[in-house]
Amino acid sequence: MKNKNSPFFILLIILLTCAILITSGCSSKEENNAKEAVSGMEVASGSDAVSQQEGDSEDNTLVLGEMWEIDSINTINGDGGTLICEKAAVTETLVGANEDFSLKPGLASSWKQLDENTWEFKLRENVTFHDGSEMTAEEVKFTLENVIKANTKVASMLKVDTIEAVDDHTLKIKTKEINPILPGILHYPDTAIISPSSFDESEEFIKPIGTGPYKFESFDEQTRILTVVKNENWWGGKVGLDKMILKGIPDPNTRAMAIENGEVDFTVDVPYSETDRIDAIDGITVEKYKTPRVYKLDINLKHEPLEDIRVRQAMSYAIDRHAIAEHVLYNVGEAAAGPFLPTMVWANKSLSPYTRDLEEADELLTAAGWVDTDGDGIRDKDGKSLNLNMMTYSARPGLPPMAEAMAAQLKEAGIDVEIEVMEMGSIYDRKEKGDWDLYLAAYNIAMVPDPEYILTNWYMTNGTDNGPGYSNQKVDTLITEARKITDLEERYKKFNEVEAIVNEEQPMIIVAYYGCAIVKKDHVKGYVFDPTAHDYRINAGMYIEK
Amino acid sequence: MKYLIKRAGFMAFTVFAVCALTFFLMNVIPGGTAELILKHTLIGLEESATEEQLSQISSRYNLDDPLYLQFYWWVKEAVLRGDIGTSYIYNKPVLYLLTLRLPATVQLAGASMAIATLAGVSLGIYSALQENRISDHILRIVTLFGVSMPGFWIALILIIIFSLKLKLVQVSGYGNLENLILPAAALSLHSVAAVMRVTRTSMLETLGQEYIRFAKAKGLPVWKIISRHALKNAMLPVVTVIGFQMGNLLGGAVVIEKIFAWPGIGSLLVDSISARDLPMVQGCVLAIVTMFLLVNFIVDILYTHLDPRIRYG
Repeated sequence: MKNKNSPFFILLIILLTCAILITSGCSSKEENNAKEAVSGMEVASGSDAVSQQEGDSEDNTLVLGEMWEIDSINTINGDGGTLICEKAAVTETLVGANEDFSLKPGLASSWKQLDENTWEFKLRENVTFHDGSEMTAEEVKFTLENVIKANTKVASMLKVDTIEAVDDHTLKIKTKEINPILPGILHYPDTAIISPSSFDESEEFIKPIGTGPYKFESFDEQTRILTVVKNENWWGGKVGLDKMILKGIPDPNTRAMAIENGEVDFTVDVPYSETDRIDAIDGITVEKYKTPRVYKLDINLKHEPLEDIRVRQAMSYAIDRHAIAEHVLYNVGEAAAGPFLPTMVWANKSLSPYTRDLEEADELLTAAGWVDTDGDGIRDKDGKSLNLNMMTYSARPGLPPMAEAMAAQLKEAGIDVEIEVMEMGSIYDRKEKGDWDLYLAAYNIAMVPDPEYILTNWYMTNGTDNGPGYSNQKVDTLITEARKITDLEERYKKFNEVEAIVNEEQPMIIVAYYGCAIVKKDHVKGYVFDPTAHDYRINAGMYIEK
Repeated sequence: MKYLIKRAGFMAFTVFAVCALTFFLMNVIPGGTAELILKHTLIGLEESATEEQLSQISSRYNLDDPLYLQFYWWVKEAVLRGDIGTSYIYNKPVLYLLTLRLPATVQLAGASMAIATLAGVSLGIYSALQENRISDHILRIVTLFGVSMPGFWIALILIIIFSLKLKLVQVSGYGNLENLILPAAALSLHSVAAVMRVTRTSMLETLGQEYIRFAKAKGLPVWKIISRHALKNAMLPVVTVIGFQMGNLLGGAVVIEKIFAWPGIGSLLVDSISARDLPMVQGCVLAIVTMFLLVNFIVDILYTHLDPRIRYG
């Protein structure tokens, strides 16, 4: 009994408890894997994946540090669409896009509009799925119908009435209303084509079986490591890598250290402030590109000082876009003019970014009646000083520092701005109540390679993303007219006019174009950046040369 | 035995109360639930939702029903069928997702707790024996540092030293023991410091007691005095602190898991909260509360071994 009460015995109990905790963790993990194996899904155990990765580092294998956690490989009902299509290169879309966002053939070799609501797509011949079966109009119809059923977003954009497989390589799509951007939507990664064998008998999604340069090999649901291997029979020709291992590393600092330590060969978006330091390291290169996304400041036009166009223009003159791009974004991004990248084929190329001009801002604000009468550095009018609040969120690292920089710049023009970094839910709540002045956010501008989608949502009266509450009869008419025009040149001309008007009126201030920092080891060759991808796209030509 | 039943009943009540609180709090925080779920599943955070999509989501997950009804259904399913719901975001049963993620967190928290206990107690004893000597001062300053520094910073510094400079372990990863070392060390540092400081204080107090002086006078060697007489009496407050540290560890794990890309429930919980994935949040909270209660239950049992005067029941 004496022995039982000794301190060693107590320590032993503590140790045993810890040991049990640890080992219980391990054993239940193995059970999971066993369960997985039974359910027929190909899942490698965590330690296997790690040892494989070490063993293969000599070969032609790329380890990719993805910026989001890999939660799902389901391309239809889940958010795996972009990952599987663009980053894992397992699936492909019917329509591709060039660097200037004009469309090019993908799995469809050509398409034409038969009448207002009917489109005919000719499919590429001799394309086989990873399970060996040939891709025909039937499988394409199957995929699109499933996507429309599961994905309300794609459905609302496609506006499809019926899809018909005319013959093996011809697909006819009827829309409910005229929809000139239909081919553009079929470039969206969520519409990538998969084989019906991606599902099991009970219509459960098992794994993505696509047509792309890489084949799905395994996905470990616990460690969330996705492995894809070379598709020897890719219709597009030779594929560079034998294998690619994708693992999600959500923290930007960890991504930076992982590539420094040689654990990954390719990653993106290390902290912007670190890009130059990492680029200087031997064996690692950092490349900065623009992606189709903008940093934009919504202005609440229902609030008294901001409904005055002069105040908005003055704010735009007070903001130093170039300094923000250089010192906040470290040139991962660029000062912006209109809502579209100048490289986009439809962009209004005559626009240039507002350059900082405090005198011009002063003139405009004085004309609007805002003068600093009490000498506190903040302008006032009728006894009220010019105080504004600015909401933003922290999910994108560039936003909070950008808000701070803008507040400092606006202060120099006599406008006091209070920054509020908030959680998304609170922001929606405040926007709903109209209790806000300024809202800084990052928006995707080319989910569909066409200007219609963005201009309608942002600038039309009651547009879904028209946060400022902007309404301009002329803009509405121009957009409505342009939407019905299929001739691209005529169409873009009208949209250019819209861009010019909103650039003058500044209902929202487009601050900067979003950037992407690609960080790769020098032994990764053949990488070509695709500006139309959501974050980045892995191309078939990539290979490793040590 | 009677005590055990009482205790189990109390634990069940606590779990229920925490679940109820979580459920209603989740519905009080601002932001439309349907809108956030939609943005996290189908359309992307910065895209806009249409009314049609919103009502579709609301009806799919019964979000328009009164709160007490929603909660009642959840409890009913959980108690009667052991089904704690299906995640909105992952589209999979919450229980299944927990079995994937829980082991990682248990490993991490368990390893951290082991480090905190072993290192904390032994350093505390050492520090008490060396009272007011230079090594004692150094240790106390170091632990002050350990208590004050935020975990994420410690984590990054550890990565820089042990991965980038010394090349001993990988920056991130999961699956073997080597990958566990850095996250567990980063997570436990705070607890090591806390345990050490309590051990030191409590040990000093005990060492001042008369029976220790008697033992010394008897001529017992120091290690025997410590292990036979002092440690057990000094352990009571230490065990309490270790129990409380469990809460700290689980909270700290949220940040540490993100940095090391560790597939535990901490990061799962944070992501679920921002996406208003209610069943998933409930599942995570359930798991965390249970873990916390279990550890404190073990601590209470340990009390009776340490001090037979303590009786429950």
